[in-house]
Amino acid sequence: MSDAAGYRGYIASRPILGNRTAQHVQNLVIRDYAQRHGLLFKLSATEYAMPGCYMMLQQVLQELPLLDGVIAFSMFMLPPARPARRAVYDTVLSLGRTLHFAQESFVVTCRQDIGRIEDIWMIQQATSRPVEI
Amino acid sequence: MNDFDFREAAEIERGEQLLRDGYVIEPVENRPALDRLRDLMVTVACGYLSTPLPSDPELWLNRIGDLVSVERLNAFRIAVIAGMNAEPWVRRAYFDLARNALSSLVGNELAMQRRLNVSIQLPGDDSSLLPLHADTWSGDSPFEMVLWVPFTRCFGTKAMFLLPPGPSDTFATHMHTFKTAGVEAAYEAVKSDLAWIEIDYGRFMLFNQNLPHGNRINRENETRWSTNCRFKGLFTPYADKKLGEFFEPITLRPASRLGLDYVMPEGFDE
Repeated sequence: MSDAAGYRGYIASRPILGNRTAQHVQNLVIRDYAQRHGLLFKLSATEYAMPGCYMMLQQVLQELPLLDGVIAFSMFMLPPARPARRAVYDTVLSLGRTLHFAQESFVVTCRQDIGRIEDIWMIQQATSRPVEI
Repeated sequence: MNDFDFREAAEIERGEQLLRDGYVIEPVENRPALDRLRDLMVTVACGYLSTPLPSDPELWLNRIGDLVSVERLNAFRIAVIAGMNAEPWVRRAYFDLARNALSSLVGNELAMQRRLNVSIQLPGDDSSLLPLHADTWSGDSPFEMVLWVPFTRCFGTKAMFLLPPGPSDTFATHMHTFKTAGVEAAYEAVKSDLAWIEIDYGRFMLFNQNLPHGNRINRENETRWSTNCRFKGLFTPYADKKLGEFFEPITLRPASRLGLDYVMPEGFDE
């Protein structure tokens, strides 16, 4: 992208993996990540509190042509359904943009990065399921 | 009014207006406090910009676009917010703008947001927009009310918009159908029902932040300056904006203090 388009922050207003992080703390983490990586941080979009709602994520993806990328607070803010996550990665990469996760310090810049993140996501999902004996 | 509602008639009327329209607009209850807040706002802004204090504060605020570019706007806004919130008298002065209205609409035992927010909408700026949203959608408790104060006259696209209660109820039933189309599509669907809030300096608005609201690109040739701050009943439920980190008690009453301090007699265990 071009001169000073910047990276839109993306924070949560509902718990992530059952844990709550105050919104101003999420923004601090994102701002620190952006500074350390030399990225221009633009005011965060806050995902809505309704369970299963990703309207602000959609809004950010619609805005993506005008941005350099997105810095989400955590990779676990992505939708839990794998096809929905794939759709997010595809949108970002097809536009030549990047998707960052500040808390985990991960970035999606190419297809190979998706594999790393998806492995973590699926292991997280598997280990959080109750074990059936 | 009924036999079991002991509020005064004026309180009931004000409350019905809020429930019907989603907001009330009234003259500020303490004009010197408002002027002092505006003087501080201008002083902090002039300090940041290293410019002399203006003789006409409202005109200067309206024309801030001559001094601040869109690229510098957010840093400037953050500096103004920080400068204002650094003054210990600011929150009390802000509360005094609508003390009686807050008492009748929210309660007399209140929690107040710990920091005032400042919005600055330059003409033509698309970087500081608040798309259609309700504060409850992003973590505010439905028991909160917003005290919104303009520091320049708001009209036309310089104003904020609010979806009134009836259309808001309808929208809530099918909001989920916009989950892929997004917020802008939702705005298009409701825009004919929106109320655009015209309000002059010297007045405040208390509005129901559970209703969808926001702003569009300011197409007027003046800048909007406004502040907002949330209030709620101290003992009403909190959501993601917690007591302590976001809210703080401001009018704790003696009976509550007695209750908080009370310890039942102990030592009766066998």
